[in-house]
Amino acid sequence: MEPDIKWLDDPETFRVGMIPAHSDHQFYQSNDEIRNGQSSYVQSLNGQWQFAYAKDPMHRIKNFYAADFDSSDFDHIKVPQHIEFAGYDKFHYINTMYPWEGKIYRRPAYALDQNDKAEGQFSEATDNPVGQYIKKFTLNSEFKDKKVRVRFDGVEKAMYVWLNGHFLGYAEDSFTPSEFDLTPYLQEGKNTLAVEAFKLSTAAWLEDQDMFRFFGIFRDVSLIAQPEIHIEDLTIKPTLSDDLKDGTLNVDTKMTVNKSGATAKVQVTDADGKQLYDETQPVTDSISLKDIEFKNVHLYDNHDPYLYQLTIEIDDKDGHVLEIVPYKFGFRKIEINSDKVITLNGKRLIINGVNRHEWDCHSGRVVSVDDMKADIRTFKKNNINAVRTCHYPDHTLWYHLCDINGIYVMAENNLESHGTWQKLGAVEPSYNVPGSVPQWKAAVIDRARNNYEMLKNHASILFWSLGNESYAGDDIQAMEEFYKSVDPTRLVHYEGVVQNRKYEDVISDVESRMYASPDEIKDYLDHDPKKPFMLCEYMHDMGNSLGGMKSYIDLIDKYPMYAGGFIWDFIDQAIEVNDEVTGKKVLRYGGDFDDRMSDYEFSGDGLMFADRTEKPAMQEVKYYYGQHK
Amino acid sequence: MVNTNKQLHVIYGDGGIGVGGEDFHYIFNYTRGGMESMVINGREWMYREPKPTFWRATTDNDHGNGFSKQAVQWYGADMFSGADKVDIKINDQLIEFPSAPGNNKYSNHEFADKVEVVYHYRTQTIPRTDVNVSYTVTPDGVIKVHTHYTGNDQLPDLPVFGMRFILPTAATGFEYAGLSGETYPDRMAGGIPGEYKVDGLPVTNYMVPQDCGVHMKTDWVTVTRNTTKDSSDHSDTPFSIKFEKDGAPFAFSCLPYTAEELENATHQEELPLPRRTVVSILGAVRGVGGIDSWGRDVEEQYHIPAGKDIDFGFKITKA
Repeated sequence: MEPDIKWLDDPETFRVGMIPAHSDHQFYQSNDEIRNGQSSYVQSLNGQWQFAYAKDPMHRIKNFYAADFDSSDFDHIKVPQHIEFAGYDKFHYINTMYPWEGKIYRRPAYALDQNDKAEGQFSEATDNPVGQYIKKFTLNSEFKDKKVRVRFDGVEKAMYVWLNGHFLGYAEDSFTPSEFDLTPYLQEGKNTLAVEAFKLSTAAWLEDQDMFRFFGIFRDVSLIAQPEIHIEDLTIKPTLSDDLKDGTLNVDTKMTVNKSGATAKVQVTDADGKQLYDETQPVTDSISLKDIEFKNVHLYDNHDPYLYQLTIEIDDKDGHVLEIVPYKFGFRKIEINSDKVITLNGKRLIINGVNRHEWDCHSGRVVSVDDMKADIRTFKKNNINAVRTCHYPDHTLWYHLCDINGIYVMAENNLESHGTWQKLGAVEPSYNVPGSVPQWKAAVIDRARNNYEMLKNHASILFWSLGNESYAGDDIQAMEEFYKSVDPTRLVHYEGVVQNRKYEDVISDVESRMYASPDEIKDYLDHDPKKPFMLCEYMHDMGNSLGGMKSYIDLIDKYPMYAGGFIWDFIDQAIEVNDEVTGKKVLRYGGDFDDRMSDYEFSGDGLMFADRTEKPAMQEVKYYYGQHK
Repeated sequence: MVNTNKQLHVIYGDGGIGVGGEDFHYIFNYTRGGMESMVINGREWMYREPKPTFWRATTDNDHGNGFSKQAVQWYGADMFSGADKVDIKINDQLIEFPSAPGNNKYSNHEFADKVEVVYHYRTQTIPRTDVNVSYTVTPDGVIKVHTHYTGNDQLPDLPVFGMRFILPTAATGFEYAGLSGETYPDRMAGGIPGEYKVDGLPVTNYMVPQDCGVHMKTDWVTVTRNTTKDSSDHSDTPFSIKFEKDGAPFAFSCLPYTAEELENATHQEELPLPRRTVVSILGAVRGVGGIDSWGRDVEEQYHIPAGKDIDFGFKITKA
């Protein structure tokens, strides 16, 4: 297949040549590797890459990916890193409006006119910078003769990929992994991977999150070798009996099997390592566990995040280990009971939550393991029991940390299009996407699927969220239907019900609002409420704020149908720079980089300052979130 | 002048009245609207005269809900209000104002058990309202400050009401008995009562500088410096004063900046170098709010209604 720059303009083209989305399980060659957390099947491509920046598609080097291209005069860039942090394109913060506001007139393809393809809207745009990356690598010797893929954990916002001059594919959905099979084009010695990242594509209409607008490769890049027999996708479904005493485990896999005679050793142990299940089965097409019963299981919740260990070891017929897949899972049940109260394991669920953007003032949305661990510690210390991943899927380690620490997760899709329907604070959805525009439907279902497939095994995830502030229409309804079809064990959340009541019954299991006053919540709950009530955003902690939290906490005792909420938000988004006058390190925000139009300090709403120190308001959160632990 | 009878030594000057004791000396200026000098153990504590304070640097929520626009008269009042009348009471008796030449009847041997100086302010608001501040000095050197705000319901809600002291140099820190952390009337449930020591004069690192550092329900605060502006003072030994409750607990902030200095900066690094100490002793504080930052008001019970009188007092003592 030949790449086409016009894919940038086409909402119906969002993944080309990609390996289907699958679970985020790791696989190893030995138990030692598991203990060290280092798989010999993974070769990191993080580090220095060659790089060329073009201010728009017209100025890009057209043949930079060719096998014989001479890239000796390219710059160098660190991967992962936002291109803006490398000093090419400027920092820009804007909230609901699109970053081209006041500069370029755009309407989404097909939104106002079914015949308007908006051709050239991004592929010929003067505000669409391009990052061209080249990475030369030599495969680890153990990778020889194995199938090898490349995995990008996060690239904004649209990317074309080549290996040794051969086109591999195209990806959008910046915050979920994109994988491409390298096997057909790998060669001995040096291989050349080429990536072309565009700041804008139709994905930009769907990724209008209230945040600094970046592009480029901002999460890890890895080469992944796969053994001859490999679990490609793992689905773990632990369920509970009606009396919540006994558990049933179902496991399904999708596998590639290129060798006969192998066996799979499937084990389940409890948290102390005590073996509860041990079975060996032959591997033909795939392996599975059907309705394996566990008596008197230890339930999973915030106070006691008890996890069982599933381990699948695949051995070839000579007994050599091909791969070992470990995954921790938990038994818990989330539902809405007959009194319309959200319960977890039969007990009322109270969400003492926060919204969390990924942020580090030194690197933007490139967050470190230390950042994530520090955030978990802050949660635990301050009685925060839940997180909404606003408004995109996070680094996968975050979900594992939430599993281990019992932090309930509302796992949100990468979707926010408020600039298409919120104008000067009013609802004006004349060119809303995805809306009910047919050409935008597949893209958002793909986003829902990417989110689900990657994260489906996490015990901590209680809610899927369709996205944020994208209004409501048939396409969002289709996302809800997707989740309901694949996962009856979790609830689906979407706040847009409030904006368009026509879809009330088909896009959210809960009445979710943002910034409703305590009186408005009472009004809903006092008048024959249809659904349990939740605040997906409340207590806007901009600057010196968070006054009056008592009025919300008081609702918990009064209304069982009130499930609590997620404070907006966890950490200020500001960037540390050296002050041009004093040379001292200072924090800068929107508008400080000649970036216009901007929403300036509106990104400073965290319970933490951007440098990860706590705001004074945190002691209040700790107190009130400690009332209903 | 040796003061053997432990009474206050009173100096009926032409520009102000001096009140002295064993280890202290205070001067209340007649034209500058307040206490010009407060010397304790030889060290000056006043940079400029303390004044009633009405303004807080706009918070993001104040900006979002338009409170600063509604209340803007208090900004002017905070900056520019002056006292247009001073009363003096000696041993609880109001005396004829001791202006020249009437004060020629006094000597350098005037003593009293109690001296009270009352400043009558008229706020720069439309309409204006009265604020009285009285300082009562006793031979132990203690100053009792009492403030009275006269309610006027034609005025907008107040951002804050209290007394602002500007000390000549930056403090090395302060200690207080009250609640942990930065607290406001609608955000103090998490504050843990206790005694706390704060090093330096931290300004809370809000992206846009704004009102900060308020501590509610305080029994006392001790401010410590180790520098003066006295060109003959070469000591760096720490020295302190104490603001203590007189009746109900008070709120305070201890910062290197006035509300107006904070108000002007769009970033922390734009604030001037810390040179002084601004101690605000507050009898009323408006809540910060938190429902949203683009319109919702602070809950009603955390407003400071302009129509209601406010009375509060505190004591200043050597520490």
